[in-house]
Amino acid sequence: MTGTPFIGLYPFQWIALVAAGLTLLFLADAFAGHYRSGFVFRSQYAPFIGGGLLIVTAISAVLKPEAEWANLALRLAGLLAIVFGLVGFGFHHYYGIVKKPGGYKWLLHYLMYGAPQLAPLALTITGMLALVAAHGLANEVSIAGVSVRTALLTLVAVALAGAILQSGILHYRGAFNNPLMYAPLTVPVLAVVMDIWMIIGPNDMVLLVFTTLLWLTFLIGFVGLGMHLRGFGRQMGGLYVTIFNWLEGPPAFAPALFTGFAGVGLIAAYFL
Amino acid sequence: MNRPTEKGGTVKSLKEALKLFKLGAPMHPIFVHFTIALTSASLIFDALGFFLDKASLTAAGGWTLFGSAVTTLMTISTGLTSSTRAPIEEGEARSFLRAHMALGLIFFGLLVAVTFWRVSLWQNAQGVSWLYLISLAVVSLVMTVQGYLGGELVYRYGVEVEQAHRELPEREAKSAPPRLVSTQNQESVVSTKG
Repeated sequence: MTGTPFIGLYPFQWIALVAAGLTLLFLADAFAGHYRSGFVFRSQYAPFIGGGLLIVTAISAVLKPEAEWANLALRLAGLLAIVFGLVGFGFHHYYGIVKKPGGYKWLLHYLMYGAPQLAPLALTITGMLALVAAHGLANEVSIAGVSVRTALLTLVAVALAGAILQSGILHYRGAFNNPLMYAPLTVPVLAVVMDIWMIIGPNDMVLLVFTTLLWLTFLIGFVGLGMHLRGFGRQMGGLYVTIFNWLEGPPAFAPALFTGFAGVGLIAAYFL
Repeated sequence: MNRPTEKGGTVKSLKEALKLFKLGAPMHPIFVHFTIALTSASLIFDALGFFLDKASLTAAGGWTLFGSAVTTLMTISTGLTSSTRAPIEEGEARSFLRAHMALGLIFFGLLVAVTFWRVSLWQNAQGVSWLYLISLAVVSLVMTVQGYLGGELVYRYGVEVEQAHRELPEREAKSAPPRLVSTQNQESVVSTKG
């Protein structure tokens, strides 16, 4: 199998594992959001089907990395997740902005208070991660002419940029009421820049700076998880009324996306 | 709840002792000790192994850190359960709780990062370095602050402490105990008599 193993798992097994973990976490946030809106459309159940399949197949691929059926299932689940994510993005855009009173004239308002525009694309990204993992587990060195490592670094850059934009708009809605709310707009932005640099002109110094920034982004995810938990505590009743404040407070697991995407970048940088 | 022995009576038999046993005991204080002890032990073992050049000590440092990362998952999950039992009203206690919750996950992130670092050192057959020891010391420092906040929550604000103190046996007595007279009053009585 390609790459150097780490704690008993090869890099693409790790990527499949991270994809499964990230999917589980953002599905929890998606459930909160869709439950809050009352599951008014049946399509709101779609991410749980696509994401659920992705989790099961990704874990199967981790456990049986050389099984052809597991690889095929992971590819299919990955493709399904990509499609569901894109359709979700369309739905969030149409029902979250276009169809709302005022539409694009109230764009900033709906970006802040409507359905989170970029959130469904997280499913697309994890679907892509699953596809890359499936290619890697099958010992394929490139995808559509692009090396697997470059594909992963590109995915990480795009994913981090999306997470930065989404957190930026939501933290703006929260009026940056705590200085740590600026954190996603600092180091992760530099990590994206260095990621692109790594793709274009890699060398030892760029690698060192890039991995350092990725480690910091990895930690920022945990800072975010802690601060979002604190955010629940600041709501009336705190965790004493957990379900209510989980629905109304900051998205509980969203900061973990930074940790997960940084983790994928680190796997690509160190072990591929 | 009909458990008189908990109100100050003496436990006289095994049966009475068993009646005091509750499955709903808070688990967070139990797991917290594993996190604190294992992380601190890891730092001490690694530092001793580094300075005394003993591979067995650094190996112990690695395993204790790994143990800490695993048990801290339980510490966090039980802590979340415990936080739901904190006083609901806004005030100092909740401020401490919020800081404790936020710092807890930050500490866990640092612990995970340093554990991955430790594993990669082990896989590459490398020993610990000054930089690693300093980083682990910083993680331990964050843990100390976190532990202090947790201690304040329990010992200052009594979070998850069912009774602040055991009541005196007189509470159960049929006749009221003699009233307490403050030292100041006694002195004034003496001076009036004099």
